[in-house]
Amino acid sequence: MFRGRWDRMRGRGLRGHPQWAAACRARRTRVSNGLKELLWNLDGLGKGNLLDLGPAWQTTLSFFIERGFRVSSEDILRGWKGFLAEEEARLREDASAIESLDMTPGGRAVRFLNESLQYPKSSFDAVLLWDLLDYLEPTLAKQTVASLTELLRPAGVVFAMFHSKKPEGFQRYRVADSNTLQRISTPVICPAQKVYQNREIQDLFGRYRTMKSFVSRDQLRETLFIK
Amino acid sequence: MWKKEDAKPQGAVDNVATPAPAPASKASAATPASIPLSSSALPVSSRTPACISQGIRIKGEVTGSEDLFVDGLVDGKLNLTNGSLTIGPNGTVKADVYAREVIVRGKVEGKVTGREKVQLWSTGQVLGEVQTDRLAIEEGALLKGKVEAGKQPAKPSETKAAVAVATTKTSDTAALSSGTAAG
Repeated sequence: MFRGRWDRMRGRGLRGHPQWAAACRARRTRVSNGLKELLWNLDGLGKGNLLDLGPAWQTTLSFFIERGFRVSSEDILRGWKGFLAEEEARLREDASAIESLDMTPGGRAVRFLNESLQYPKSSFDAVLLWDLLDYLEPTLAKQTVASLTELLRPAGVVFAMFHSKKPEGFQRYRVADSNTLQRISTPVICPAQKVYQNREIQDLFGRYRTMKSFVSRDQLRETLFIK
Repeated sequence: MWKKEDAKPQGAVDNVATPAPAPASKASAATPASIPLSSSALPVSSRTPACISQGIRIKGEVTGSEDLFVDGLVDGKLNLTNGSLTIGPNGTVKADVYAREVIVRGKVEGKVTGREKVQLWSTGQVLGEVQTDRLAIEEGALLKGKVEAGKQPAKPSETKAAVAVATTKTSDTAALSSGTAAG
């Protein structure tokens, strides 16, 4: 039915028409079995604490708040980009700082994480990690997962996504309903750094007892990790 | 004939009727064009919201019950019991903020409490906790911290009073409204 309406609009040359734009937006949704599974895992939790590491979307926050969650939001990718820009500016101003600062990926990751993800241990029931590990430097990705593991309570859940091949565009995700995500194309914040293989993902989340993956046609693997 | 007065130019009548102005008034009369300009630039109405404009820096506590627009820097505490607080695109607030409604178009570092509503515009940045009844976030806004939206449970003393007054009323735990902003 939807395809028919789409084709009719295309045939009539309705490009640019508000209905066309609405249809385009609607097309950028994807069914998410991972989200469905996450909600199933959180069902009956009552007032839980959730950490959203993507951008603060009205729909995502509303979705979880309406279900009784206390949501904490921290856009890690934007934070990382800002951190890199700040460090670059600092080094431009004070060239001698390069000698005092550890500029290895590990050193930068430690400095970044000293400013980010500052929450009490075991304070979250769920973490929305989205696909951000693909965009972080591998060292930082590893340390981020380690930090998240500390923040998650036992039996807590992480919802992550991994690209099966290097993504062409840059997209962010938000919750549309209990089993649908919306993909929002945005300007690139950080270029993709790595395509993780299954073995590497298992190693990253080695401290988690359960891992459940859903592979979809759009080369995106949705994975749930239960601590 | 009795309409002669009406036929006269208005300015001429005024000149005749008014006494000779003082020297200071003479100067202002010499530049009549500047009068309307300056009067339009100044907020003359008492209902115009108070403004901490760009370039002004306040360190300390700001309290009141009227609307306030902040486009400068406030470092301390901001408490508008019944007013609306707008943090403009150039505004930076390093403070815990409490108001009936908070609109963030600039930067806030601290706890933001909007009794009725908090709006985060696309240029808005909040680094801290947000607590409100209704939250609206526009695409592009930055939020780093905890969000608690929806009607908060009443304080124990308030609950007791409410129970005593109206036992039939149930507490409303309304969910967060979708708001007007995109996202």
